[in-house]
Amino acid sequence: MELTSELQGQLLDCILDMGQLLLGCGAEISRVEDTLSRIGRAYGASETDVFVITSIISLTMEFPGHEAVTETRRIVRDDGTDFYRLEKLNALSRAVCAEPLEIEELRARIDAVAAGRKPFRVQLVGSVLAAGSFAVFFGGSVWDGLAAAILGALICLLQLRLDRTEINTVARNLLVSFLIGVAAELLTVAIPALHMDKILIGDIMLLIPGLAMTNAVRNILLGNTISGLVRLADSLLWAGSLAGGFMVAMRICDILM
Amino acid sequence: MDLKTAIIQLVTAFLGSMGFSLLFGMRRGHLLWASLGGVFTWGIYLAVGALLREGFLPCIMAAGFAVFYAEALAHLRKTPATIFVVPAIIPLVPGSSLYYAMASAVRGNLPDARHYGSQTMQAALAIAAGISFVIALRQLQTKR
Repeated sequence: MELTSELQGQLLDCILDMGQLLLGCGAEISRVEDTLSRIGRAYGASETDVFVITSIISLTMEFPGHEAVTETRRIVRDDGTDFYRLEKLNALSRAVCAEPLEIEELRARIDAVAAGRKPFRVQLVGSVLAAGSFAVFFGGSVWDGLAAAILGALICLLQLRLDRTEINTVARNLLVSFLIGVAAELLTVAIPALHMDKILIGDIMLLIPGLAMTNAVRNILLGNTISGLVRLADSLLWAGSLAGGFMVAMRICDILM
Repeated sequence: MDLKTAIIQLVTAFLGSMGFSLLFGMRRGHLLWASLGGVFTWGIYLAVGALLREGFLPCIMAAGFAVFYAEALAHLRKTPATIFVVPAIIPLVPGSSLYYAMASAVRGNLPDARHYGSQTMQAALAIAAGISFVIALRQLQTKR
């Protein structure tokens, strides 16, 4: 496919958008780099250089007979892990690499993916199921599971509310874990048959940066040390703020009760 | 550990992995296999743990299995492996010891805090080591 300079610019935008979406929904760095350079090659670029870290994507493309073009994209926010979107982007990139689409068509397809979000109802069901199950998994009774499930729903609603604010990860985790800690204390005071430790363990599973840490390790091993270390530091801070929130909640309740 | 506890854990591992899959927007078609990943991983952890009577090596092997399972499934279903790694590994995440480490620290019980804290770190390291082994093995195989 022969592209004019104008279309090349549009293609660059499309590819950067795709990279941004991929990073946002939880793809590892090597997948983002790999996908973007494959698409570049599919559109006939003689040279495609992609550099991705968690906060920036830099893309340079050179088409035969044209000057090289470079664009960078600052990645500010994380849309939250979304496997459905990840799969759709993966399918789109496979389709494009097999048979390059017209740029207009590509733009429309990317916009369609960006418009779709995982439904909130499913996330709520997931949070409830995960928190409840893990409370029982770690030795809680069925009633502990039920209580953890209720707090799981609360966490999901809180996160949804906080998604609409500018709050950063550390402050967010401090706040959420503090509120959940207090709620668990109140529940166990009201119903003494419940075990606070098991309830909170179920809910910690929802908040713990298990995924972020796993991804950090995988990034490092797949050769992306910088991003891996950034993610690792992020997830340690995240775990620290989580612990801080719970500790303050427990301490206050210990003193008051 | 008795059989009843093991069965309860395997069933709740299934439900918990399914919960996380839903939370992260997994497609319906993948849900069953993704959730089974958590069951298999925990099953391996329990079985190897019963043989060796310790926690570190079983955790490495179970995490390694989780990545292997995810990569195999992703290959068969032509999707990114990440989406199957998460539900498979989640039962290994040391939520319990992290909680007890925090709770002991708050109550000024430092020996317990240290004990549970190092358990948490050990589990995190074991998961990382398990993942590393499998990725290293796969990279030996393919050259791109």
